[in-house]
Amino acid sequence: MLATIGGVFAGLLALPLAHSIKRRFRSTTAPSDYDPTQHKWLMCVDVDKCIGCGLCADACKTENHVPEATHYFRTWIERYVIRKPAVDSGKARGEVLVDSPNGGRGGFQQTLVPKQDILKSFFVPKLCNLCEASPCTQVCPVGATFDAPDGAVLVDPTYCIGCGFCIQACPYGCRFLNPVTRTAEKCTLCYHRITRGLKPACVEVCPTQARVFGDLKHPVENDPLLAFVMKNKVNTLKPHLGTKPRVLYANLDKEVR
Amino acid sequence: MRFFNMPPQIFRLVLLIFAIVVSYLAGRTLLTPATFRDHGFYRGAALVELAGKIPVFAGKNACGVRHPEILKTLAKGSHKTLSCEGCHGVVSQSHLDDPADKMRKPPAEICLRCHEVNPSRPAGFKQIMRNDHYEGACLECHLPHEPNEAPPEPDKAPAGSDKESPEPGKAAPEPDTTSPEPNKEP
Repeated sequence: MLATIGGVFAGLLALPLAHSIKRRFRSTTAPSDYDPTQHKWLMCVDVDKCIGCGLCADACKTENHVPEATHYFRTWIERYVIRKPAVDSGKARGEVLVDSPNGGRGGFQQTLVPKQDILKSFFVPKLCNLCEASPCTQVCPVGATFDAPDGAVLVDPTYCIGCGFCIQACPYGCRFLNPVTRTAEKCTLCYHRITRGLKPACVEVCPTQARVFGDLKHPVENDPLLAFVMKNKVNTLKPHLGTKPRVLYANLDKEVR
Repeated sequence: MRFFNMPPQIFRLVLLIFAIVVSYLAGRTLLTPATFRDHGFYRGAALVELAGKIPVFAGKNACGVRHPEILKTLAKGSHKTLSCEGCHGVVSQSHLDDPADKMRKPPAEICLRCHEVNPSRPAGFKQIMRNDHYEGACLECHLPHEPNEAPPEPDKAPAGSDKESPEPGKAAPEPDTTSPEPNKEP
């Protein structure tokens, strides 16, 4: 009985602490006029335009201060090499080889497959697929990762406990555990840039407009996103998993996993 | 004595359950962050914090504020979709403080990063084999801001031309040219 009363008193003492936390959050460098319910961001990818230069992967690492080690990526590029089928196999296409050396950073060296063996080869940039039914936000035990009202899927770095459920749950492999902060990390669509009217770093540096970004609720004049969906037949990654990914890929081959 | 005509052990149990429920509700109310459940099952303040990070890349439009002529020149050729910082690197604070401290002139490796022949690149994309094509001396014949134009003959080159001198490490003191080369080859 006395212990309970003591507990309630201790709880009451925590009240002023909650207020000071609220005050701290109000004073940030965030753009004050941004309303997340008024925007719906989307990034799309045109696979036929990607030249595999790796500028996007490099820019993302620079922009978001991702740890330098080779296996931490918020976005990366995969190279698919489809070999010619064996002569009497009766198949239309041969073996598929996928690689992503250093995530595509610094560009790609020549593939080891000899040129005369290659039937088709292309690059596929990958990022968070901004799923509507995202499995990663579903499994978070504390509510640290979430679908923001404006379409981005974000991680609250102060709230994340680093359990790694979301990293396991994402079927696209777009999450990783940041070894410095020991929290989950992923592509945020450069949230700090898009809320200020800039483009994500990867879209900014892409030299061929393979990555297309826009606001579905406020299309601009000659909006590249609208042009993209009007011009292209689009597909999504792993549609059979039911995650309802929103990122659209144009000219996506069936071998892309 | 019996409270509410309950056996004493039942009364103690009721008190205990009541105490547990009250302390849970008090804890939940007081320990949940203020902005939780603003937009969903997460801290609403996280949106503000994530939006508050400082951008690193300036963006092409920012470069265009001070260099509109270069952007105009760029917009006419095949390199119109390129960003300034993709080749020149992130706009550094030292360049913003002192514009005379210029951004780096990109080395030939930057050109080859995109244009070196690679079977995975889309067909129709201009590619060269480095060893067959002048081995990385790109800027002797090409103008990166006007890739579809040929540079002028060396003896006719005007002062302040975009063309970099062949010797590396030699700083180019002239400002970038603002208009298309006047002595273009026909």
